[in-house]
Amino acid sequence: MKGRGTKGVAFQYATALFLILVLNFFLPRMMPGDPFLILSADSENEVISVLTEEQRQYFISYYGLDRPIYEQFAGYIFSVARGDLGESIYYKVPVWEAIWTRLPWTALIVLGATLMSTVAGVLLGLYSARHRDGPADKILMAGLISFAEIPSFLLGLVILLAFSVKLKAFPLAGAITPFAHYSHPLDAIWDIGYHASLPMITLSLTQLTGIFLLTRNTLVTVMTRDYIRTARAKGIGERLVWNRHALRNALLPVVTRVGFMIGMLMGGAVLVENVFSYPGVGSLLRSSVIARDYPLIQGIMLVMAFSILTANYLVEIVYERLDPRTSSGEAA
Amino acid sequence: MVEAVCGACCQEKEDSFKAPQRAAMMPDLRAIKADWNFIMKNGDGWRDHLAVALNSIQDSIGRFSPSGKMGISGLLLIVFIAIFAPFVTFYEPSAISGMSLEPPGPEHILGTDELGMDIWSQICYGARMSLLIGLAVAMISGLGGGFLGLMAGYMGGNWDRALLRTIDITMALPSFPLLIVIAAFLNPSILNVMLVLVFLSWAKPARVVRSQALAMKKQQYIISARLHGAGPVYIIRRHIMPEALPLIFVSILNISSYAIVAESGLAFLGLGDPTSKSWGMMLHYATSFRSIYFTPYWQWWLMPPLIALIFLLLCLAFIGRDMERIVDPRLRSRGGQ
Repeated sequence: MKGRGTKGVAFQYATALFLILVLNFFLPRMMPGDPFLILSADSENEVISVLTEEQRQYFISYYGLDRPIYEQFAGYIFSVARGDLGESIYYKVPVWEAIWTRLPWTALIVLGATLMSTVAGVLLGLYSARHRDGPADKILMAGLISFAEIPSFLLGLVILLAFSVKLKAFPLAGAITPFAHYSHPLDAIWDIGYHASLPMITLSLTQLTGIFLLTRNTLVTVMTRDYIRTARAKGIGERLVWNRHALRNALLPVVTRVGFMIGMLMGGAVLVENVFSYPGVGSLLRSSVIARDYPLIQGIMLVMAFSILTANYLVEIVYERLDPRTSSGEAA
Repeated sequence: MVEAVCGACCQEKEDSFKAPQRAAMMPDLRAIKADWNFIMKNGDGWRDHLAVALNSIQDSIGRFSPSGKMGISGLLLIVFIAIFAPFVTFYEPSAISGMSLEPPGPEHILGTDELGMDIWSQICYGARMSLLIGLAVAMISGLGGGFLGLMAGYMGGNWDRALLRTIDITMALPSFPLLIVIAAFLNPSILNVMLVLVFLSWAKPARVVRSQALAMKKQQYIISARLHGAGPVYIIRRHIMPEALPLIFVSILNISSYAIVAESGLAFLGLGDPTSKSWGMMLHYATSFRSIYFTPYWQWWLMPPLIALIFLLLCLAFIGRDMERIVDPRLRSRGGQ
């Protein structure tokens, strides 16, 4: 983290977003072929309606393809800004609608995993720092560091095979039990949580190590500070020294990390959802890839990229507010 | 890994040095040319560099921890299998050599997939794919990015500012969604996947090396070398390069596991090269098989590529962690590790 000023950060994220829009606009236009040119029929006696030159011109101007490229691009930007991402070819609904129906599931597991890994990571980090260089600390360090190297979808496959296939303790797929009738709202919540638990655990395991190491190492540094010695000298007791004086100061970097984590978890969720056949945006992406539903692929990409960029941007802004040292360029 | 990145950023803020100083450091074209001729004439041959490099490799292997040594032997094992794939397998990976979905047995060590292709052969030939992608992407973006960072960091000025901006923007791009959409639109060939991966991964080594070069050029011995008339090319080759190479090497390791993960992830989503037999494609075919989890097939169809990938990534991670520790002794003292 270094001091670049809020303006610089805003510029950086705005440019990244612009680049993504440019890419989204030009990628389909770079593909070979012409949508109005039909060269062959799918079956033998299918009637091919060859477009006359007039019709061709009509369609080209109908879709605005005869206008200069910058006008087309401006039109694209405006329609995206209005929330119009086009129409899904496969699902025959607006792209935004297709994404919107799946988004809550992804949000559920991403936010759940964020919460889980943060709480567990901070607690384990605190425990590890308090028992530094003890056997528990060493085992935690070695174990968690190795965990962090396994990407989420491989870890997810291992967890799925172990807990769902072998032990049959968790469901194999889906977000709710199909055709279930809940007699009580709590039953519904239980069912949803039951289905979401494995994807959530998988995602949080991949981020747990980062939080754990950050908490532990910051705590170890913080504990050498003068104010800790003062607190101890006051005789307030070890527990208060750790929880009130040390942990509070160590949480600042964790806050930043949590923000960036949401972005990484969004990326991880795409793959993990497919491992657990969880009906979020990630599995929508896979089915749109298989169906070659290009508008939908682009829409999902745009929504994901936008949320990741927004999350990271907010983190940088919040961080500068929280820690005035960063804006003056001093070491964090 | 967290520490290494942080270590690099902390040096970054030192880059605002004063204008006259920068003017004094601006390279003189004639100086570069004279310098180049000097190097060409007076040897400073690659053989010396090679000897130094070999020595330092020997040196560092001695300093590896047990887990690092394990990582190296594991990686060597995979490399061996990949190179000698035709000799350690009995069938072509895409030859239909048995019945469909045979369990492991004397005929097929690890059984066959749904098309009757030998799974052990696919694992061995798949190792080639993973290693090739990891190595190629990492070499190109590690060396390329490192070179850019080195030049920008040492030369300073507008080029440096432009590069820094580009790095910042590239690092802000959300890589995985981008990877998916580009891979979906381009032909799913290995080359395209590699190009996209290079585009998304060059920024980190560039940044690390840039801040190293920046910090180094203010060192006393570099300044004195320059005052004695050494040109930029000479200083970079003689003094900065040897210091920056280990950093580049660490990024090469990190990027190679990133590339392997990204390729297998894309393949798992169905965006891989359908003609290739990579481990990610094996995972894709196995998990796409209808209700594979209700059959015993996953035991020999899904498990081998899964274990192989995890094993390779863990080996790379162990080596990478040790390398980081060896390259940057500061890490050992920082944070009480």
